[in-house]
Amino acid sequence: MEGGKAQRRRLFNLFRMANCREIRDHISLYLDDELQGSERVGLENHLKQCEACRSRFERERRFLEAIRQSKPLHTASDELHSRVEEILSTTGRTNLVPTRLRLGIKRSLANFTQTSHASVLSVHTMIAVAAVLLMVLFLGLWTVSRDAKRSLIGGPSEFALMAADTHLRHIRGQLPLEINAGAPEQISAWFHDKLPFSVKLPNYQESSGQKKLYDLEGARLVGFKSDYAAYVAYQMEHRPISLVITSNQVAQPSGGEEITAKGLTFHYDSIDGFKVLTWSDRGLTYALVSDLEERGQRSCVVCHDGSKDNESIAPLKPKT
Amino acid sequence: MSQAGCTAVFSQAALEHLDALYGYAMTLTRNQIDAEDLVQETYLRAVKAFGQLMPNSNLKGWLFVIMRNAWLNQVRHANSGPRFVDLEKEDDDLGDWVDKRVEDPYAIYLRKLERKEIVAAIENLPSVYREIIVLRDIEGFTYHEISSLLGCPAGTVMSRLGRAREKLRRLLGGWQGSAAKAV
Repeated sequence: MEGGKAQRRRLFNLFRMANCREIRDHISLYLDDELQGSERVGLENHLKQCEACRSRFERERRFLEAIRQSKPLHTASDELHSRVEEILSTTGRTNLVPTRLRLGIKRSLANFTQTSHASVLSVHTMIAVAAVLLMVLFLGLWTVSRDAKRSLIGGPSEFALMAADTHLRHIRGQLPLEINAGAPEQISAWFHDKLPFSVKLPNYQESSGQKKLYDLEGARLVGFKSDYAAYVAYQMEHRPISLVITSNQVAQPSGGEEITAKGLTFHYDSIDGFKVLTWSDRGLTYALVSDLEERGQRSCVVCHDGSKDNESIAPLKPKT
Repeated sequence: MSQAGCTAVFSQAALEHLDALYGYAMTLTRNQIDAEDLVQETYLRAVKAFGQLMPNSNLKGWLFVIMRNAWLNQVRHANSGPRFVDLEKEDDDLGDWVDKRVEDPYAIYLRKLERKEIVAAIENLPSVYREIIVLRDIEGFTYHEISSLLGCPAGTVMSRLGRAREKLRRLLGGWQGSAAKAV
């Protein structure tokens, strides 16, 4: 009996030690804001219970805070400031800088002007080519909805930023999936009881009988505003697509370019090169992140049939 | 926005990163004159490449990449290559600097944790460690941004940053070592 107790105690201590080691390995990641979802929450929960790790955490936090407060390490002199201002100016100005630098600046500005004109021409050419390509590619696929409205209403929302960041972390392997499954039903079942809202992933792809356009990879929980959000990962033509879902009590889509269509208001942002669409529908707020073309509206097929819901997707396509 | 408008916005935004770029230039060159030259070279290159900058790009990261490439070019042209210090050797090379501070680590650390101490400790780090501390803790780049900037995997960024901070702790009095013992 006693032997059994001792063994359990030893096992418990071993588990606790391993856990503490793991937690300490993650403290820097946490303080660098590189830890998300259940790992973040797990660390926070552990710290509440473990005084030793909490003490370690506090020391690390104070240490990093002290380093970060030492910014800036160096400040540019007024002279350097003037010289850089001169470099950045776009019109020819007279001698505020040494000859060698002035000649360099003139040369740079001359090239800059040419490059700018070339860029403008290139942009026009690209727009024309893109318009033709888009007509070919999307003719018969999408119709432009007459009730679509667009307006630019500011920077991306916190939710859109979190979604883009989560997408990025997943791509670079810092956010492993907690469930790997290709069936929407499996993912929906996994989320059951883990979230304060219900997530039911549709399965339009299978039911439509169409060619498989995308693959469902899996899912995990991610932390957002002291609560969990659902993260679902897809692949389309080997390009990742992320869907993040939370309650509309926690996040409301805002900012970016506002596009109203079929009774829904979409917010489009380009964040760090990713296309982010956010919207609310029936009590939930969604964010779709991808690096797909235009506004990444093709990513909508993860929840919409390729032809059935075209009228919902079409307004998201940029006007050419 | 007109071309002139875009240029004005770019110029204003680029100028806001001058101190950060100068700090990074000092990290790379450890010399005021070279650092100032590198800053100017960076802005000249940025002006030339402005047309390639995509909308919503991370301007600060872009400028840092330009600076690092410019510096690497300069070093290559000097036929010496970017010579980072041997990390293993540096580990044992802290010498007297640390010895002066180890007698009462915790108290000394708390008392001496002043800005100039930290700056001096960062300046005393080997190049690779100094660079990653500056990029992460001073300039606030994410691991992913640093990984892109340095052209190395995110895992390397994490491990290098961990080693850099450990060394910085030692330079600041070995306080983390005593903390680790206490736990």
